[in-house]
Amino acid sequence: MNAFSYVRPRTLSDGLRLLRSGASALAGGTDLLGLMKDGLARPELLVDLTGIEGLRGWSRAKGKGLRIGALTPLVELEEAEELHRAMPILRESLRDAATLQLRTMGTVGGNLLQRNRCWYFRDQATACWLKGGTKCFAVEGENRLHAILGAHECVAVAPSDLVPALIAYDAEIALASSRGRRTMKLADLYVAPHGRERREHVLRPGELITEVRVSESALARKGAFQKAMERKAWSFALVSVAAAARIERGVARDVRLVLGGVAPIPWRVVAAERGLEGSGFDEAACAEAADRALQGAAPLRDNGYKLPLARELVRRTLRSLVV
Amino acid sequence: MTRILKSIEEFEGEVSESLVIVDGHDLPPARHDGGSPEIGRSRRRIDATQRVTGRARYTQDLYLAGMLHARILRSPHARARVRRIDTKRAEALPGVRGVLHRFNTPKTPFRGDDVIFREEVRFVGEEVCAVAADDEDTAREALALIEVDYERLPHVVDLEEALGDVAPQLESDGNVSESGSHKRGDTKRALKEADVAVDVTYRTSTQLHNALETHGAVALYDGEMLTVWESTQHVFGVRTGLKNALKLPYSRIRVICDYMGGGFGAKNGVGKYTIVASLFAMRFGKAVRCVLTRDEENLAAGNRSATLQQLRLGAKGGRITAIEHTSWSNSGQGKWIANPTGPTNTLYEVANVNTRSYKVVTNAGSLSAFRAPGYVEGAFALESAIDELAEAAGVDPLTLRRRHAGAGKDPITGNRYSDKHLLECYRIGAKEIGWDRRRAGGTRGSAPHRRRGIGMASQIWGGGGGPPAYATVHVDPDGSVVLTAGTQDIGTGTRTVLAQICADELGVELDDVRVQIGDSAGPFGPMSAGSMTLASVGPAVRLAAHDAREQLLGAAAGVLETPKAELRLEAGAIVSKGARTPLGEVLGKVDNNTVIGKGIRFPNADDLAQKTFSAQFAEVEVDVRTGEIFVERIVAALDVGRIVNPLTAASQVEGGVIQGIGFALSEERIVDRALGRVMSGNLEGYKVPTVKDVPTIVVKFVDRPDRRANNLGAKGLGEPPIIPTAAAIANAVANATGARVRHSPLTRARVLEALALAGIRD
Amino acid sequence: MPPTIDRRGAALRGPSAVDVALEVNGERVVVHVPPRRTLLDALREQLGLTGTKKVCDEGTCGACTVLVDGRPVYSCLTLAIACENRRVETIEGLAKDGELHPVQRAFVDTDAFQCGFCTPGQVMSIVALLRTVPQPTEDDVKRAVAGNLCRCGAYPNIVAAGVSAGRRKRT
Repeated sequence: MNAFSYVRPRTLSDGLRLLRSGASALAGGTDLLGLMKDGLARPELLVDLTGIEGLRGWSRAKGKGLRIGALTPLVELEEAEELHRAMPILRESLRDAATLQLRTMGTVGGNLLQRNRCWYFRDQATACWLKGGTKCFAVEGENRLHAILGAHECVAVAPSDLVPALIAYDAEIALASSRGRRTMKLADLYVAPHGRERREHVLRPGELITEVRVSESALARKGAFQKAMERKAWSFALVSVAAAARIERGVARDVRLVLGGVAPIPWRVVAAERGLEGSGFDEAACAEAADRALQGAAPLRDNGYKLPLARELVRRTLRSLVV
Repeated sequence: MTRILKSIEEFEGEVSESLVIVDGHDLPPARHDGGSPEIGRSRRRIDATQRVTGRARYTQDLYLAGMLHARILRSPHARARVRRIDTKRAEALPGVRGVLHRFNTPKTPFRGDDVIFREEVRFVGEEVCAVAADDEDTAREALALIEVDYERLPHVVDLEEALGDVAPQLESDGNVSESGSHKRGDTKRALKEADVAVDVTYRTSTQLHNALETHGAVALYDGEMLTVWESTQHVFGVRTGLKNALKLPYSRIRVICDYMGGGFGAKNGVGKYTIVASLFAMRFGKAVRCVLTRDEENLAAGNRSATLQQLRLGAKGGRITAIEHTSWSNSGQGKWIANPTGPTNTLYEVANVNTRSYKVVTNAGSLSAFRAPGYVEGAFALESAIDELAEAAGVDPLTLRRRHAGAGKDPITGNRYSDKHLLECYRIGAKEIGWDRRRAGGTRGSAPHRRRGIGMASQIWGGGGGPPAYATVHVDPDGSVVLTAGTQDIGTGTRTVLAQICADELGVELDDVRVQIGDSAGPFGPMSAGSMTLASVGPAVRLAAHDAREQLLGAAAGVLETPKAELRLEAGAIVSKGARTPLGEVLGKVDNNTVIGKGIRFPNADDLAQKTFSAQFAEVEVDVRTGEIFVERIVAALDVGRIVNPLTAASQVEGGVIQGIGFALSEERIVDRALGRVMSGNLEGYKVPTVKDVPTIVVKFVDRPDRRANNLGAKGLGEPPIIPTAAAIANAVANATGARVRHSPLTRARVLEALALAGIRD
Repeated sequence: MPPTIDRRGAALRGPSAVDVALEVNGERVVVHVPPRRTLLDALREQLGLTGTKKVCDEGTCGACTVLVDGRPVYSCLTLAIACENRRVETIEGLAKDGELHPVQRAFVDTDAFQCGFCTPGQVMSIVALLRTVPQPTEDDVKRAVAGNLCRCGAYPNIVAAGVSAGRRKRT
């Protein structure tokens, strides 16, 4: 790690003011410290956000949906019974995310902004395209964990388990910077690195996520999450699938289907969602949706297995909404 | 009378002959009537409290006053010539004390080379420079300031690429060299005459040890003695390595390993980091610490070679008539290979066998011994192939093995086994797993798309140990005992079982024995490897304790004025005609005298083969749509002679099985061929089993003393349990699904591919 | 060196060493460390608490698990300075007056380790579990230590230790 200064502001406005160029925001540190140890981040100043009041915890006010503070540790989302009743997919998606220690340290905001796990990206000695180099080494290299869908110059995959689950509930995020505040759909935060966009999200310099919001109507959906791993615990997703829908008298409405681990961004498949709209998640409809979800897939040398795996996981996740 | 005897020993599959100085006579086999106060009893580890309180001091935990920190600059290239090194900027950094590299380091012979920094570096991670600084951060920063001018050279890292014609040839005689062969009978003819034959190719990926404590050393030089604390499986091996490298006599080198955090074969001798720490220590007269990071560990600290193995088997009339087995191992920059054809040569009584094993040099990190090196890889291939043959011949795979597993002689030397109960292992294991529930083609699983199957595999390995090994037993006037032995406890429980043997033979309480090991200042002992610690050191301890007891009884006879023949030593008391006098009370009369018992390991019989045998049975479920394997249960039935401590022995078996599960399902070093770089060099990319990957493991011991092996009747246990696990799982997967995966680990990709090839969807 | 105060009063500290006050195993201590020093290194190098082990140093193995404010964290991914005035518990703080903690005793009795290098981390994870789930099931224990790798493969006994520690009378 490089040497840096440290500050722990008490208020959001102080925090935002301190996040000038050369500064990084520190929350749980589970990703940032790893990046710093690998020399991939070299901030001059760390602004520790954990002393800021009001960004931690969650609330659900009548008719106003769910609000989750960005500094809420993941483990709190996982453990809160009331939250589990309101939105069971949170616990489902977090149970197998990383480890208990990392979920204890890691925050919601940090999870949303974590960088990809590509081993070329994480290797300090490899000047990969995403880090400003000329090529993606994974395309012709070791790519068993990489993207089969939606990749451009970089084939790293979106690593979060929580994010697909939140997107399946149309989550929004609130952002703040010293210049002001804005909100956006969580799905719009992510961008597949391409062209001049050598980054994974569109957060502006000095900007923070302050809150995640899920509307009351979205909370009426039923959701399900499944994940395939390389071992039975502590593994980033080979493939993950989050699905949600409002089911009225056996008929699906507002269907959402989002895959993790297969593309540079959380991979929402609108075509498959449309095909399921009005269905009863019967076998045939789910199988067709699974095929649609993988349409356009372009596997690399070693990740072709993700196709049948994702197809089956999509089918199962969808079926589990009604079975 | 002192004399020289011949001994035959086996180490990691290699049999060799040695000469041993002996004095006096060995003891007859220990009693095995259930009456031993200590041997055969489950005992908590005597160092358990130290380990659970964090007080156990490992090499990594040593912070000596004024200590310098050394770090190593490693080659970023798979193959390059080091033309020039500029250290000016690094040396100008405040806190940097010195830099070592090929242009300023004296000759320090190391494993066949005469230097530790080679002109041509031959794998990513090879040592190029070393820096000593006041602290770790400074040393690390200094590495980044060193400029090295490399001339890149063509490289090859992949085993099968290295076999091809277009690969750069790394040695004058090419990349491939034969390292062993065995032939008996006529396999060509037998295969021609066979009813059924299989011809199959298997692959195993490179497995990384990943002991939790990385390799490391702390060296201290006081102008007279070089003292080195090292995380090692052999303090005496490190001492020899330092003697060769630094030209110091043994008497001026002391190597200490008190607690160590796992080795699994990778810590069998001196490392370049040891020599670096020692050179700096000798230059600066200060303590120097050089401990590898996790990434370094996985680049440059050894591995189990990847293999490519071809097998042809023939059967006739329901018996195996021929096995041909050719194996290529990726030894990286290693100087030897483990032999994957070992099990093929010796496990079964088959008339016609022809095996050949090749070492393939590549620009990757050197192999080092990894828990049953060669045999784990070889057993995966052989035991998978036997199942494939059984399937083709329509014979139950266990029945087929039974027909060949009962031989009483080693098929290569013709020597009789000192003892063997493999068929008993089959019987115990088959009963425990419920082999009669096994159906050809498997059964339905517990959920849709899940299939269930049972498989098994067998194991042969050495584990007889041998000389030289020494122990002394000091009994102090208060009746307390210090056992000193030439060995180290690498986590296997050596301290505890040696204390048990000592207490048992001497006649004192376990708590009265303090064990002093892991120090080359004591008498010599073997490497904690090759499953040979207990069978080598245990008999010496028993003899030392016996010697001490005889002396104590003699002393007591004098003090109590009673004939020695009427005295016994039991639970720390001299017993005479029903009266018990505590040992301390008796010895108090001769205060400040010390009784010293001495023991050695006598030679192995030169006409016997000491082997360990076992079988493992696996029950699995396979999700045929996702390729996920659920190992539900493993039964391990082992014949390793007498069990000294059933509690710690069972733990060791479970550990071996769990590492075998990792080898079978998830552990794989992944190297980028173009860059030559290990991509899965950390514990995120390299997947060792977690607690959730572990099934129910049932451990059963035959527990019969091998009276012809040594005076204790015990054999080694470290390696046998990892050998058959992967094959048993692969066979269970094939039984469950009908799909045969011939490449370990059995990842999703490989399972799904095999299932697709076999056309299986449900 | 006095801290630099930025325009609006927030105290910037570092990059050179500063005093950081911690509560470690019930005692107030002050360590003099640069902000980049991890809690793991501060414990081991400044405070001599070497029971907490460094294995991967990047949050993948669990050997450095300690409790901060009662919850298990990886101390290798935690800055010492970020623990200012927080309650840190390490393996050294468990035994009281020479009496092992019930979890430690259970580890000894069930032989829940071989080399012992992962043990402090495993023990701390289970200590944290027992505070919220006093009588854990096997599954509870597995979830608690799924982030603690053991290369010797002591897992079956670790799970047994966790379950049996829950049944023991608390001391």
